[in-house]
Amino acid sequence: MKETGKPTANPMLVLREEFDDWAILFDPDTGDAHALNPISVFVWKRLDGHHSVDDIMSELVKSCDDVPENAQTEVIKFIDELLEQGYAGYEI
Amino acid sequence: MRTPRQVDIDVTNRCNLRCKFCYHFESAGDVGRDLSTAEWLQFFEELNRLHVMSVTLAGGEPFFRSDFKELITGLVNNRMRYGILSNGTLITEETAAFLKQTGRCNFVQVSIDGSKPDIHDYIRGSGSFEKAVRGIEICKKHRLTVDIRVTLHKKNIHDVENIAELLIERLGIHGFSTNAASYMGLCAINSDALSLDTADRSVVMQKLVDLNKKYDNRITATAGPLADAHMWNRMEKARRINGENTKPGSLTGCGCVIEKIAIRADGVIVPCNMLSHIELGRINQDSLEYVWQHHPMLEKMRTRSGISLAEFEFCRGCEYIGTCTGNCPALAYTTFGEIDHPSPDACLRRFLQDGGVLPVIDESRQTME
Ligand code: SF4
Ligand code: SF4
Repeated sequence: MKETGKPTANPMLVLREEFDDWAILFDPDTGDAHALNPISVFVWKRLDGHHSVDDIMSELVKSCDDVPENAQTEVIKFIDELLEQGYAGYEI
Repeated sequence: MRTPRQVDIDVTNRCNLRCKFCYHFESAGDVGRDLSTAEWLQFFEELNRLHVMSVTLAGGEPFFRSDFKELITGLVNNRMRYGILSNGTLITEETAAFLKQTGRCNFVQVSIDGSKPDIHDYIRGSGSFEKAVRGIEICKKHRLTVDIRVTLHKKNIHDVENIAELLIERLGIHGFSTNAASYMGLCAINSDALSLDTADRSVVMQKLVDLNKKYDNRITATAGPLADAHMWNRMEKARRINGENTKPGSLTGCGCVIEKIAIRADGVIVPCNMLSHIELGRINQDSLEYVWQHHPMLEKMRTRSGISLAEFEFCRGCEYIGTCTGNCPALAYTTFGEIDHPSPDACLRRFLQDGGVLPVIDESRQTME
C-alpha cells in the first residue's frame, strides 16, 4: 500500500451498521458479507479519498481511549485486504 | 437491527394466471392496482440509503410487468441483489439473459405442482405446465439459480414421487422446496377441494420423508408437511424424554419481522405479505426506517416471542407445550382473526386427536432445511 496515498472505498459496497459498533460489509456483486469490528468500521468510513493512513490513525487515537499497540499494523493490513479485493482503491 | 436486511415486494397485483390456491388474490394484498415505474424506482433509492441487501420480487407475477427490466436495473443501481417468485410461464430467453448479465440475481423460484400437465394445470390453467417447464429449462441454460417450489394439496399428494423424479432426475434440478396450500386468499374459497386433511397430511409427510432418503435430503421445507414432520417428531421425542416436566414454550414461531419487511403492490408497508391486512405506512410518504424502528405493531410482533403458550385456553394441558412454537401468526390470523395465538394448522395435539400419524424418521440421515 502507498502509505502516503488516500484510499477511497468502492461505492458499490454496502456497509450495514447492525449490532452496536460492529457492521457488515456487503458486496452485492458476489453476495459476500464480511463482519467488520468497530475499528474497521471507523477506518472504512474514512476511506473517502481525503484521508491518508496517518490521518486515519491520528483520528483513531483521538477518538478512542484505548487504542491497541498494534493498531497501525492492523489498519494497514485491513486497507491492504480491501485494496486486494477491489473494495477500495486510489483515485487516478 | 436498525434497518431491514431484506424486503419482500409485491411488485404487481396482476398475474397471467388465476391459480385455485393463490394466497394473493382475494386476500388483503389483492389491492387492485399497481404503482408506476417511477414510484418503485424512488423507493429503491430509499432502500439503498437504508443499506438493504436484497429484495424478493413477487406478486401477482413479476414478469407480467412490461417495465420489469427497468425495475431490476433500479435495484442493481441501488446496490441490491434480488430474487424472483414466478409461475415460470413468461420467462423467455431474453429475460433470462438479461437477469444473468445483471450478476445480482440470487434465484428465480418457479412453481411446479405436478409431474404432468393435467395435475399442474388443474390448479394453474391449461398450458401452464409446459410453459413453466420451458421457463425452468431456459433459466438453467442461462445458468441462473432456479429454485422450485412444490405446493402440496389434495390433488397432487399422490404424484409427489413423480414430481421428485421429474425435477431431480429428468430436469436435473439440485432439489426443491415444498409447502402446502394454505387457508388464505383463493385457497380459503377452494379449501374443501384443496386443503390437506389430517389423513392426507399423514400420507404425504411419510412420502416426503421417504423421498428424502432416496434423494439425499434434496427436498426442503420451512412450512407445510415436511417441516411439520420434522418439527412434530422432535416435539414427540421431547415429550417422551421430558414427560410433563417442561417449562411452557412461547410464540417464537415467526422470525419475519426481525430481518425483513414487505410491501404490497399499492405501496403499503406490511409486516409480511401473508399479513397484508396490517398496514404500517406507505412508501415514498412514510419513512421506512421510522416505521421499522418505531411502529408499535412491529414492536408488538417482535415481542410476541414473550407470550407463553400457557396463557392460551387452546393449549391447556398439552403435553407438547414445552417445545411448541405456536408457528405462523398469519395462519393463526386467518383462523382466529388474531396474530397473537398459536396456529391451529400446526398444532400437533390437534393433528393426533384427529387421528394423524407421525412419519417414521431416521433422524441421523435427515435434515429439515
Ligand atoms: S399463485 Fe402465483 S401464479 Fe398463481 S395466480 Fe397467484 S400470483 Fe398468479
Ligand atoms: S395445543 Fe397445539 S399449539 Fe398448543 S402447545 Fe399443544 S401442540 Fe402447541
